[in-house]
Amino acid sequence: MNATRPAPGSQASLREANRARVLGVVRQHGPLTQVEIAAASGLSAATVSNMVKELDQAGMVGLSRSIRNGRRAVLVSLASGGGLLAGVAFGERDVRVAIADESREILAQQLMPLQADHVADDGMERAARLLADLAETVSSGVENISAIGFGLPMPVDSVSGEAGSDAVLPGWRGVNVTEAMAGHLRAPVALDNTANLAALGELRAGALRGVRNGCYLKFSYGVGAGIVINGDVFRGSAGTAGEIGHVTIDENGPICRCGNRGCLDTFVGSRALINSLAASHGPLRLKDIVIRALGGDVGCRRVIEDAGRRVGVAVAGVVNLLNPEVVVVGGLMAEAGELILAPLREALDRCAIPSAAATVELRPAELGDEADIVGAIHRASVLSHSNISIS
Amino acid sequence: MTLPSATPAPPDVGAGTVLALQGISKRFGAVQALKNIELDVRAGEVLALVGDNGAGKSTLVKTIAGVYTADDGTMVFDGRAVRVGSPAEAQQLGIATVFQDLALCDNLDVVANLYLGRELRKGRVLDEVEMERQSWELLRQLSAKIPSVRIPVASLSGGQRQTVAIARSLLGRPKVVMLDEPTAALGVAQTAEVLNLVERLRERGLAVILISHNMADVMAVADRVAVLRLGRNNGVFVVSETRTQDIIAAITGATDNAVSERAARRSREEGPAS
Repeated sequence: MNATRPAPGSQASLREANRARVLGVVRQHGPLTQVEIAAASGLSAATVSNMVKELDQAGMVGLSRSIRNGRRAVLVSLASGGGLLAGVAFGERDVRVAIADESREILAQQLMPLQADHVADDGMERAARLLADLAETVSSGVENISAIGFGLPMPVDSVSGEAGSDAVLPGWRGVNVTEAMAGHLRAPVALDNTANLAALGELRAGALRGVRNGCYLKFSYGVGAGIVINGDVFRGSAGTAGEIGHVTIDENGPICRCGNRGCLDTFVGSRALINSLAASHGPLRLKDIVIRALGGDVGCRRVIEDAGRRVGVAVAGVVNLLNPEVVVVGGLMAEAGELILAPLREALDRCAIPSAAATVELRPAELGDEADIVGAIHRASVLSHSNISIS
Repeated sequence: MTLPSATPAPPDVGAGTVLALQGISKRFGAVQALKNIELDVRAGEVLALVGDNGAGKSTLVKTIAGVYTADDGTMVFDGRAVRVGSPAEAQQLGIATVFQDLALCDNLDVVANLYLGRELRKGRVLDEVEMERQSWELLRQLSAKIPSVRIPVASLSGGQRQTVAIARSLLGRPKVVMLDEPTAALGVAQTAEVLNLVERLRERGLAVILISHNMADVMAVADRVAVLRLGRNNGVFVVSETRTQDIIAAITGATDNAVSERAARRSREEGPAS
């Protein structure tokens, strides 16, 4: 390889650097038009046009027709080398898996309900078998999976690859997911929190697209946040950034599963919401509460409003700290729409400093319950390319 | 509408209960297949019915579906005591059953299977357009992944056939749907499809009775689990408060009646303290 590399500083090496830059931009953002590549890479339109022509001839990118701003455009995407990307996103009660091609287009996906407190082995086994099944439906084998993006609804240690010790799912505590899953499928695994993955998904393909500083609030069985700083997801020093669910709301409140008192989760987590309706409505699931609230049930509406208000107070803290442009609200609870957004917005306006609150925009998520899996696919894509460049 | 109903509702049926069985017994010659079975299922609830081979699950399902008539006991549907003499009567009442063999016609397409025996007519000819439209509508509501409604059922996968069979049972607007082993002999992806379908039924406010051998599936979608053992009730468990082990113990008879024993244990533990 080294023998053919052009001399440093030469025009040929500059050309190669530009080429790598174009490829890098397409890798990072998915299919783009040439104008968008020029904007994202800082290269001139003429250079990009030349590079794309060369790359196309070399078979490294694929071109397809598309429409941008009402005008015809040519979409540049990475040529698929037959490699597949896999995404796995666990929820408290389900797992969603997807298979995508090199250009991150999802080819097949499936949601599977799971037992509420399943054990990690069982969950991973099912996810692996689902992936194998799906890989077959896209007429390819499981051995073609080049990387897996793996999401868990709990803090994960990005350094060691272990699930957090204060996990929502007790069956997953302290499990080394990266190793175990790589053993199941013989492919490298990128482990992340589902809130971070969902933020990544919305950032690349949803409501956070083009936002430099933003926040994705995942309000489901628990509350988590994915923080976007400078156009990328911020993970903190060990991957636990954005654990908004464990912000202390009431220092004398009930004990949380993390061991502290009065965390946000103890007030707005699924268990708290379900318990508050247990006496009047009997045993419900979180989804039932949302469906009933949308159907006009006053009790369920009240519970959702109160939860929205509490979360709004915590989000106000995030807004004060980070001054984001956009806060996107997603997750199961966000399916209640304005029922939850209105009180959340009200609390946010009241508790954040006026200048920050005035500039922040509260948006519903665009990708719905697929945000996590889209993010997982993007993580897998980045991982597979970094592996290729290493090897 | 203030007239009192002709048959007063039995007192011990809880609010929202669609179907309740009280003291159902069934005997085949010398074999006591069911003895004093109590069971109730509410609207918008998934009740799993589990038990070992020969525990009486199928007999109970067939009794509810009207294939067998119970020797003893009452069946309360929608607040009225009812007698179900035949499967057709059960269907008219609002109890739909999807049996394990699905009873689909392989050579007919999806629409023809859905409307077999109750074809829509326009004058003297079949209203194919309307049947196809309604088929799509129904399958869409169930988020079913069926490529086309005009292909023979033989070319569908196991999960898709199960979906068609369940969709067909919904055409009569039932209140109770019974699924007999819907995930048996299916792959993982297809099992996932069927489990999602069960959740859809639940969200539509139907009472679902799910018979299954697979504890993982049961624990994933059921709200309550009723255990049968040797033709008798062996406990009803609320899934969110129960471990799989307890249910398996009740199925195998490791504990005679897990619920009553647990209650006894709790009262023993709390007894000295209070």
